[in-house]
This record gives sequence, structure tokens and C-alpha cells, in this order.
Amino acid sequence: MATTEITSDVIGTVWKIEKAVGDSVAEGEIIMILESMKMEIPVEAPAAGTIAALKVATEESVQEDQVLCLIES
Amino acid sequence: MPDRKLDNGGPGAARIDELMRRRAFATALGGPENVARQHKGGRLTVRERIARITDQGSLREVGTLAGTGEYDEHNVLRKVTPAPYVAGLARIDGRPVAIGGEDFTVRGGTSFGALRRKGGQGGYVEDLAHHYKIPLVNLIDGAGGTVTSAKRRGYVVFPGVDGFERSVELLGEVPVVSAVLGTAAGGPAGRAILSHFSVMVRGSSQIFAAGPPVVKRSLGQIIDKEDLGGAAVAVDEAGSIHNAVETEDDALDQVRRFLSFMPQNVWELPPVLAVTDPVDRREDALLEIVPESRTRAYDMQRLLELVVDRESILEIQPTHGRAVITALARLAGRPVGLVANNPKIYGGAMDADAAHKQIHFMELCDTFHIPLIFFVDVPGFMVGLKAERQATLREGMRAVYVAGQLRVPTLTLVIRKCYGMAGMATCNKNDIDLKLAWPSGEWGSLPVEGGVAAAFRREIAAADDPKAREKEIEAELRAYASPFRTAEAFAVEEIIDPRETRPLLCEYIALSEGRLKIGLGPRTKAGVSP
Repeated sequence: MATTEITSDVIGTVWKIEKAVGDSVAEGEIIMILESMKMEIPVEAPAAGTIAALKVATEESVQEDQVLCLIES
Repeated sequence: MPDRKLDNGGPGAARIDELMRRRAFATALGGPENVARQHKGGRLTVRERIARITDQGSLREVGTLAGTGEYDEHNVLRKVTPAPYVAGLARIDGRPVAIGGEDFTVRGGTSFGALRRKGGQGGYVEDLAHHYKIPLVNLIDGAGGTVTSAKRRGYVVFPGVDGFERSVELLGEVPVVSAVLGTAAGGPAGRAILSHFSVMVRGSSQIFAAGPPVVKRSLGQIIDKEDLGGAAVAVDEAGSIHNAVETEDDALDQVRRFLSFMPQNVWELPPVLAVTDPVDRREDALLEIVPESRTRAYDMQRLLELVVDRESILEIQPTHGRAVITALARLAGRPVGLVANNPKIYGGAMDADAAHKQIHFMELCDTFHIPLIFFVDVPGFMVGLKAERQATLREGMRAVYVAGQLRVPTLTLVIRKCYGMAGMATCNKNDIDLKLAWPSGEWGSLPVEGGVAAAFRREIAAADDPKAREKEIEAELRAYASPFRTAEAFAVEEIIDPRETRPLLCEYIALSEGRLKIGLGPRTKAGVSP
């Protein structure tokens, strides 16, 4: 089991979280959507796995490189 | 070529015997043990690499016998350790190239201190490419100079005795492609950078200015070679090498594919293939690909695939500067360069990495007469402290500067947003400046949302409900942003049905051939890049 940290590429706010802890995700599946540059920025799973932890909540501001969630695969 | 032994006992036979013996030393490389070690690391030898990428039997080797001979007291040859570089002329898909690579099985592919260099910067392989005006393929697997050369010579050489002048000259003459297939440092690493296209193997090749021992001695930093110069750093993050692939065969395949789009030199047109995909293919999926919501991202890669010839896309730098997609592709068999903003990354905003990437790609296509098509969805330059620290403004304006000097035929297709200075980097005003747009297009000096709060600050502040007033002004201004109003003013040349994209682009690209013909030859550069 490897745990991967998913980090934010941009400063923005968490607009919508699409997955919950324990959900399985396929590679490329959207985990959450951030809002930045007046755009919806999808955060996609880099590999298939299970959401082990969500580190942010809806409407929270996030910084670049901030950890958003953990995926176990 | 088959080597047949002459056994008539005459003087010719003895000479041929020596030639064959010496050739055998060359083909044995660094000996069976070193070759086995190279294979164990998942790597091919330079001769195997050349055999895999070139047409069978096409190699005309040059400098086969170069090496270090050992003789007995009667001056009879004992053995030759070959020079750690194999080079020659060959064909790839029937077209001539100059090709060469370090032989890691001989002294780790370190530079060979002969009278004349076979490869690397200033090497004979570069002269072959220059004089025959054919592409140069570098198969890089070496660490450059070694301090042991100084011991052998008794003095140290000044940097640039074997300079990069020819390497630089080639960049304006013929396609130069480098595959980094092992650990590259020093000269070979620098040589890889001075290429139009470079590729490395994820996990088994690394590239850096200097490797872990030098880093440890200089900085006290302890780091292994993969962490220092593996593809995660050199390709994904730094963009020093363009593409990363999984195996050596994949790397050689990408070299072959890249060359398939290129002319042999800047005095020729790029090769046109037979049409395999109907020119009049109209994809209904293009109608739905841009979401109703103007803030939602969509799959630009998929959009490109629907438009260009099936399976013709070769993406350049797919993992670096991802806010823009740069790809070679074909339209009705003709090579084209695609520059497309990627709404999934920073909303498509241009950051410094994306600007670098776009600049390189525009220069590549301009140099080799490959028409450019911009698929535009750019909200502007990336903003914020990180972007400013990365000199996004300067790098973005360099993209505008390079776009402003393009001579190659260019089409601009606005898919959605085209704003500000980043939008200006998607047009070529030296060309006919044909801007096509989908009905989903929108443009301006900056998006309404960004501008209202600043431009109407007092009015908004004075309102009873400032938030509501801001929204009202936004709605009013957005009505003017309809692309059809701009088309009324003939300020965008044509609005097209997305399903017409492929047939129209095929037609315009075919038409541009006349212009390409009169624009052949090297590009001259003027002025000082910002």
C-alpha cells in the first residue's frame, strides 16, 4: 500500500468535493474542484486507489502545494 | 556489409585480414563483460540502438577503426580499445540522417582524446549533418570529460576547445534530435539540450550539469542520481528534456515520429503523407465539448484528437508547462503545429513554464516551415505572487515577441476565451491574421469578472447593495461580449460551426503551401529578446 499526497497546483478555494473518505477512484477521476482564476480547476486522481483522508473542506482557501487529500493504492 | 575473407595468400589478403580484425574490435565494443553489464541495467549498447532505429543495413559507419591500439615489442597489434563513440550515416524511414552515440561500455562513454572528435559537440557526426544537410540524431549515454585525460595528456584543456559552435549552427539548419539513454552529465548533457527535440527514459536515464559525486564535493548535498536528474526533475519540473517515455524502444520510436514531421533541412518543405482520414469528417462531439458553464474545464486533448488526422498527434512536453498543449500533428497528411490552451490547468492561464514551452514550439515550427494552428482558450497570464516571482510577465511577453516575428502561416481558432496579452501570443499579425472562432468564443482586454471591480470601484462602493451592483454591471458588459457582435464589426474574420473545423482547417493548411514554398531557407533573427 502506497499513500500519495495530492497537492494543489494553484492558490484558490475549494468549491466542491466530489469524493468521500473510503471512496475508490479511477485514474483521472475528479476528486474535488477548486475555484481559481475565475475557473473551476478539477483535481484528478493521478492513479487508481482509495481516498484515505481529505485534508480540506468546502470553501476553504488553499495555497499552492498544500495537501488536499491522500490516496492509498 | 558482409565481410568475406580473402584466402588467396596474397598481400591483399593480409591487409584485409587486418581490416577485419580491427573491425571486429570495434564491433566488440567494451568487451562481453561490459556489454553484459549494460544489458543487465536494462540498456542497449550503442550499436544495438543504432540498429533498432535505422533502416536495416543502412548504416555507413564513419570512424569505425578509431580507438587506442596496443602493440607488442615488434609493433604487432595486440588489441584496439574502440573510441567510446559510434557514428555514421544511415536512413530512418528511407530518409538519410547523421547518427551517433556514446558507447558506455568503453570507459563509461567518456570523451575520447583523439585528434578529431567523432561525436558530441564539434564532433565529426555534426559535420556530416551540416555538410549533407540532413537531420542529426544523438543517442546520448555519457558523462563527458574525465580528469584522467589530464593525466594522459599532461595538461588540461581550455573549455571550448571542442566548442558548441557547430551544435548552435545546426539548430538553424537541420532537425537535431537527442535521446538520453543513460546518465548524461557535462558535455553530452549540454549537447542534449541543444536539440529541437529531446527524450529520455523514465527510471533508467538521468541528466544534470554534474552528477552526485560532484554535488556532494561542491555542496555537501547527498542525493542519488535519479532524484537529482531523473525524468521527474529534468522533464516534468524543469522542462530541460522535452519528453519522458517508459522504455528505450519508446524513446527511439518518438525520435522516429518526430523526424517524420520534419523536412530534411530548412531549405525543404516538411513531408506530406497520403490522406488516410476523410478531410470532410464532421464530428458531432465537437458541438458538445465546450460546457455550458463558462467556468468549467473540458478536455482540450480530446478536442484536438477529433479535429486532426487520426492518431497523428505527437505531443511535445506533455508533462511540463501543462497550461498549454504543444503538439505536432497532421491535417490531410500535412504536418501542422498545434498550440492549445489547457483549461484544466490554471484555467488555461499562461504561466512562465507554459510560455517557455510555447516559445520553443513556435520557433521549431517557424524554423521548419510547419504551419501553426492556435486553439485558443486563454483567460490571460497567470496572476498572483508565485506567477510574478517566476517572471510570468516577462516570459509571457517573450511569447508575444516570438509570435510577433513568426513568418510561418498561422491560423487562430478561438474555442472559448481569448484575453489580454496572452491572447496576443496566439496570433501572427505578419500572416493574413485569419481568426476563426467557435460560437462559444469570447474575448477582450480582460475578462469581465476581473475588470468590473477595478473599473467601477466608486460606483460599486456607492451602491446600496455593492455586490448586487457589481453583478448588474457584469451582466450588462457581458451582453457586449457576444462573439457575433465582434463579427458584425468584422473584427473576427469568421465564426464557424465547430463541426466544420476539420474540413476548414484542412483546406486552409493545404492553401498555405504556396506561402511555405516562398518562405524556405533559414530564419534570420533580429533584435534583443526581452
